[in-house]
Amino acid sequence: MNKSNRIIQFLGVLLLIILVASCKHKEEEYHSITDKIKAKSKNYHGVSLSSEGYFDDVKMIKITEEEHSFLIPERKGKIKSYACTECHSKPLNQLQTTNFKKAHWDIAIKHADVNTMNCITCHNDKNMDELKSLTGSKIDFNRSYKLCSQCHTKQFEDWKGGAHGKEIGGWAPPRASKTCVNCHNPHNPHFESRWPARFNTQKIKERK
Amino acid sequence: MSDNNKKWFSLNLNSRRKQSTNAHSCSCGNNSGGCGSHQSKEELNEAEFLEAAVNASIGEETKKDGFDQVFDVKMSRRNAFKQLTASLLIGAGAVSSCTSVISNDETKEKAQIDWEEQFKGNYKLMSDDEKKATVNRLVRSYQIRTGKTISMSSKNAEKDVLFGYAFNISKCQGYMDCVSACVEENNQDRNSQMQYIRIHEMKDGKGFNFNEADDNYYHEVPAQGHFYMGTQCFHCDNPPCVEVCPVQATWREEDGLVVVDYDWCVGCRYCMAACPYDGRRFNWSKPEVPEEEINHNQHYLGNRMRKKGVMEKCTFCVQRSRAGKNPACVEACPTGARIFGNLLDPNSTIRWVLENKKVFRLKEDLGTEPKFWYYMD
Repeated sequence: MNKSNRIIQFLGVLLLIILVASCKHKEEEYHSITDKIKAKSKNYHGVSLSSEGYFDDVKMIKITEEEHSFLIPERKGKIKSYACTECHSKPLNQLQTTNFKKAHWDIAIKHADVNTMNCITCHNDKNMDELKSLTGSKIDFNRSYKLCSQCHTKQFEDWKGGAHGKEIGGWAPPRASKTCVNCHNPHNPHFESRWPARFNTQKIKERK
Repeated sequence: MSDNNKKWFSLNLNSRRKQSTNAHSCSCGNNSGGCGSHQSKEELNEAEFLEAAVNASIGEETKKDGFDQVFDVKMSRRNAFKQLTASLLIGAGAVSSCTSVISNDETKEKAQIDWEEQFKGNYKLMSDDEKKATVNRLVRSYQIRTGKTISMSSKNAEKDVLFGYAFNISKCQGYMDCVSACVEENNQDRNSQMQYIRIHEMKDGKGFNFNEADDNYYHEVPAQGHFYMGTQCFHCDNPPCVEVCPVQATWREEDGLVVVDYDWCVGCRYCMAACPYDGRRFNWSKPEVPEEEINHNQHYLGNRMRKKGVMEKCTFCVQRSRAGKNPACVEACPTGARIFGNLLDPNSTIRWVLENKKVFRLKEDLGTEPKFWYYMD
């Protein structure tokens, strides 16, 4: 009786030891990478690296949207014929409609359909130095993402968080992201299909 | 200790005396079975010895660097090479260059560099000074050989950094700009067209079906009814490739990068077999890159020039990422499908993706814990 109790006790302890021991990951104290990230980022003190040196003289402006705060490239200086009022001194309805030299002939809108959008959906016909929202409030050319975000709300959310779009410089803080118009032509935002950058001829031979 | 009871191989090139190996007692203490150092032949000629030395090169390291070996083989690679080169180098190279009055300083320096490079330890075990020294030797050696200057870094992992990667499968269009950028950045062999990244063209509605996927397409992309996803080294947190390496030439760094010491790798390709993601590549021939295309910004663990017969793989462009930049593939992607960053930074974009998008990894059930996530818009 006593002996069998001992054996049961011994087996119980052994089982406990096995249980405890088997819970341990082989070399890490964490069960999974998510645990590791969680534990290790608790005392995050920042890194000594900075990506500021990799901006290549791109002028940046800082924007804050809800809890996200980051840099985007300044836009006005990149528009060839800005300021627009250097030519367009009068509101659109006062500009001549016949006998004029064609301007902006290379711009064709391929963005939504004509029922949804035309030039003045985004451009301010009273003051062409500025853009305007759907309700008519002013939007600065430097913050043109506010215009896009009126319709593309999902993309806007992803962009703010960093899941959509591209970073400038590197991963190290401060965060700098390309704004919508740095990748998408606002008048023709779709990416064209094209041929891949390379083809591996050696792989074909190897797999024969 | 008597000569009859030696516990190591030694070269007896000049001596006529037979090197006696007792068939019944072995250095490892086993009388039978595979301790690895059994040699049934009584006499070793030079060629045989070379073979034996190479076979036994996965040896126990000298106590000095505390290299804790898996196999109980009594002849270390270092000892074997020391004895080999002692005779060969002194006999041929060293004598003609170091003692000769006609050979110039550069030849002597080159011999000195080659000598020290031959006997250096595993990079993983080096002190910062030793790392710097080997990097300086490699830079100088390149300069002597080609007359060109490269910059090579031995930068260690940054504190509070754990690199992670996210790939948006609804954004990738299969342009393969990442592949091109990777090849150029990492000085990959142009002859064998080695590529770390593979872009798989998958049929819509079939899920991740690698059997039907095409990773070497050449037509206008994106093709109708297909989606694209890329694979490369996932820098697992629990990397099986590291486990199987018999010489510990590959390991996981503090910042999560799984790296290879090309000078310590013996080219057994166990890691290639162990990797469930086809993340590793082998140099079957001497890698060649046209001089004008060589990326001169290098890291010891990254894109420095490799040799024939060693493994290599994606390092998340260690020469770039440890300097705060994004890997070349991330920078080159025209669609923004690739996100890279510091997993430990709660404000990083990669963390936002992991916390707010629906992410998954390949073969998650293997427990390899890859730090490479896929997500969709």
